[in-house]
Amino acid sequence: MVLIPEMPAIGRGFISRLEKYTFDNPAWTIPKEKSSRRVSIVSSAAISRRGDKPFSWLANNHRVIEKDNLDLVMTHVAVEYDRTAWQQDINTILPIDRLEEMAKNGEIGSVSNEHYSFIGSSDPIKMERSAKEVAERMKDDAVDTVFLVPV
Amino acid sequence: MSVLAHFFESYGFSTVLVGFVKEHIEAIQPPRALWLDFPMGRPLGKPNDPEYQKKIIRSAFDLFNERSGPVLKDFPDIIPVKDGRMGYALPVELVLKKNEIGDINKLVKEVNDEINALKEDYEIAVSARKRTTVGASEMQISEFTNYISEFVRGNIPPSPRKGIGPIPQLKLVVEDLQAFYTETITYRDKVDDFEYLGTWFWEKTRAGRLILCLEAVSLESDNKILKQIVDMSLITPRFWSEGPLPGTSGSGW
Repeated sequence: MVLIPEMPAIGRGFISRLEKYTFDNPAWTIPKEKSSRRVSIVSSAAISRRGDKPFSWLANNHRVIEKDNLDLVMTHVAVEYDRTAWQQDINTILPIDRLEEMAKNGEIGSVSNEHYSFIGSSDPIKMERSAKEVAERMKDDAVDTVFLVPV
Repeated sequence: MSVLAHFFESYGFSTVLVGFVKEHIEAIQPPRALWLDFPMGRPLGKPNDPEYQKKIIRSAFDLFNERSGPVLKDFPDIIPVKDGRMGYALPVELVLKKNEIGDINKLVKEVNDEINALKEDYEIAVSARKRTTVGASEMQISEFTNYISEFVRGNIPPSPRKGIGPIPQLKLVVEDLQAFYTETITYRDKVDDFEYLGTWFWEKTRAGRLILCLEAVSLESDNKILKQIVDMSLITPRFWSEGPLPGTSGSGW
């Protein structure tokens, strides 16, 4: 396990300076039965459809990924994480095929028509407005379950 | 992601996340979280291993059985990374100075020759995978070297793209160049070892050398943005290196 105090200097500096937010009375939504869950993925990998506007350094907005158009590129500003896995297999950061297999197997109900991407280097509190927009789109798509996948 | 989990849960969705930095998850306490002792960039663990990927998803989704939260569980497997890091780190001694760059025209030709030699294998890889991640810059592969080399020569060339400045475009080109190389090699040589791939690209290829030259020039540049992106380890992977790049403070973070 890598502990923050044991990280090399720049990594330690960045991660330890992430603002710590607290949520009083945090929400808890009771999950649906697994066979009726409709799942959408939210990624912080700054992936988007080829041709979309690249993510800027501190972008608070999101990109929509349609399940039928997975010709994606990544415009994350950070280079401290491995990109070779997703180059080989999109499912290492956006496990759409795996969710579809689980839906066929009855482990979940279905997979949403859209998934969503943010850039993880930005301040998440400032993403609230964009998160609300994503939530509206998810509700229109009858999504009830969100799988959040960082990079 | 932990903050976004709180948002989505409050909008009426059941959420679960996987995450890498346990102390961060413990601080923000998202409703349901599975901690992965993995290198960053690999939240589903292993490429082209569907059963392993589903093992992670199933472990995460098992948290929907919990009656109350926040709940944080550890995924039992560990994918180790060297030396307390969470990704590849350039060796600290691998730093070029401007006066070590040498003949840039010669280097440009060597990189272009290298790209041409890899091109056929790249196209085989793209054809087999039915996708490529190269293209965020929207420039042709044949244009990458010249665009980067202009900066190495001390120029700031105009960006070919409307709404994207020269330096943000430079960063996208640098990443596209690396993706071209690593997409090719991971397929051609059937290798999935990012430590090996990092060492190969940065220490063995002329393209890696070109980007190290870019770093050397940027360190001494009068252009604040160019200097800043190097200072913040956004061009070369020094985030996990021991100590900041000589000539920088690392304080940008």
